[in-house]
Amino acid sequence: MTLRNTLGKQEFLSLFDIGHDTLNAWIEEEWLIPSGTASELSFSDIDIARARLIRDLQVDFGVNDEGVGMILHLVDQIYGMRTTLIALRQAVQTTSG
Amino acid sequence: MKDPYDIIGVSHTASAAELQKAYRKLAKKLHPDLNPGNAEAEEKFKEIAGAYDLLGDAEKRKKFDSGEIDAAGAERPHHKYYRDYASAESASPYADNSSFAEFMESEGGFAELLRRGARAQTDRRGHDLEFRLPIEFVESIAGGSKRLTLPDGGTLDVTIPPGIAQGQVLRLRGKGAPGSGKGGFGDALIEVEIRPDRLLTRQGDDIHLEWPVTLAEAVLGARIRVPTSTGAVTMAVPKGSNTGTMLRLKGRGAPRPAGGHGDQFVKLRVMLPKEPNAELEAFVSGWESGKSYDPREEVAP
Repeated sequence: MTLRNTLGKQEFLSLFDIGHDTLNAWIEEEWLIPSGTASELSFSDIDIARARLIRDLQVDFGVNDEGVGMILHLVDQIYGMRTTLIALRQAVQTTSG
Repeated sequence: MKDPYDIIGVSHTASAAELQKAYRKLAKKLHPDLNPGNAEAEEKFKEIAGAYDLLGDAEKRKKFDSGEIDAAGAERPHHKYYRDYASAESASPYADNSSFAEFMESEGGFAELLRRGARAQTDRRGHDLEFRLPIEFVESIAGGSKRLTLPDGGTLDVTIPPGIAQGQVLRLRGKGAPGSGKGGFGDALIEVEIRPDRLLTRQGDDIHLEWPVTLAEAVLGARIRVPTSTGAVTMAVPKGSNTGTMLRLKGRGAPRPAGGHGDQFVKLRVMLPKEPNAELEAFVSGWESGKSYDPREEVAP
């Protein structure tokens, strides 16, 4: 239904105004998991939205790197739980309805 | 438009550090990605982030304080948040189920329910999607066509029926979320939110307006221009009209569902000249018969 956007590495770097080192660190820490190969990275919508969250945490909220890693870890668990809950709700609806 | 200082909750004299502290306190509570289930958080967050974009930048703040720029357009550009993807995409590389794996594994646990759900799920109609559509008062009376921009960037053309009422919900069949199997699409439910007009208010099918007239127009009668929802019209003010006199413009109200239109009611308000007027004072002081009328007689107990 919607067209999927992906960005290449250069476009991604200039969108967020960050350097190669910063991006490499983000990927190293698994803050970001772009698809593609190391020489030709590809950033999808969810990667871009997640990078915005990282920037909001760092720039707007002044969270340091340890804090960002911890928040992302908790955020991932919350969303994992939400995804499962949504699937559960659907399962309950379809089996009881 | 709300004052950006009020939005963040600081005084106009707050230092940059105080401003940042107040903003962070609010933003932490309201960031949409940290509040995935809270639909209100996004709107509120956009508002405070927009206010901070303006005031957090010393240059822009100076211009705002001196009145060179206003708060218009201070809202952050619309982009999708992480939560929009993270909850929707079960195949997200970031999803982490490790902390509740114990609930999934045990026999008779959630995993079994999920498996049964997946089997029963083959032909399911898609969900209905709910949207809000703000329109102008005049559009609510005349009807028309509006384009709604969806959160995923798509658009939806909505035909507004003439005379639509506040809070009325329009159903666009098949414009909701896709279903699975042969389930088909759900519907789009669009709740119309009518922005109040500066002058005109609606009561049922009728429209009300309070409209000023001069003393001369009230005493001697006149033909004056009066705004309606379909443009200005000429209305006769009868001789001897008064403050509170209610005049009716037939058929100038909202369209009725069964056909025809309501009326517009115009309540007059007699306005004396703004500046004291010697001629008027001289006339009134010599106007003996006018002094015997006591309007308070009718309202006093």
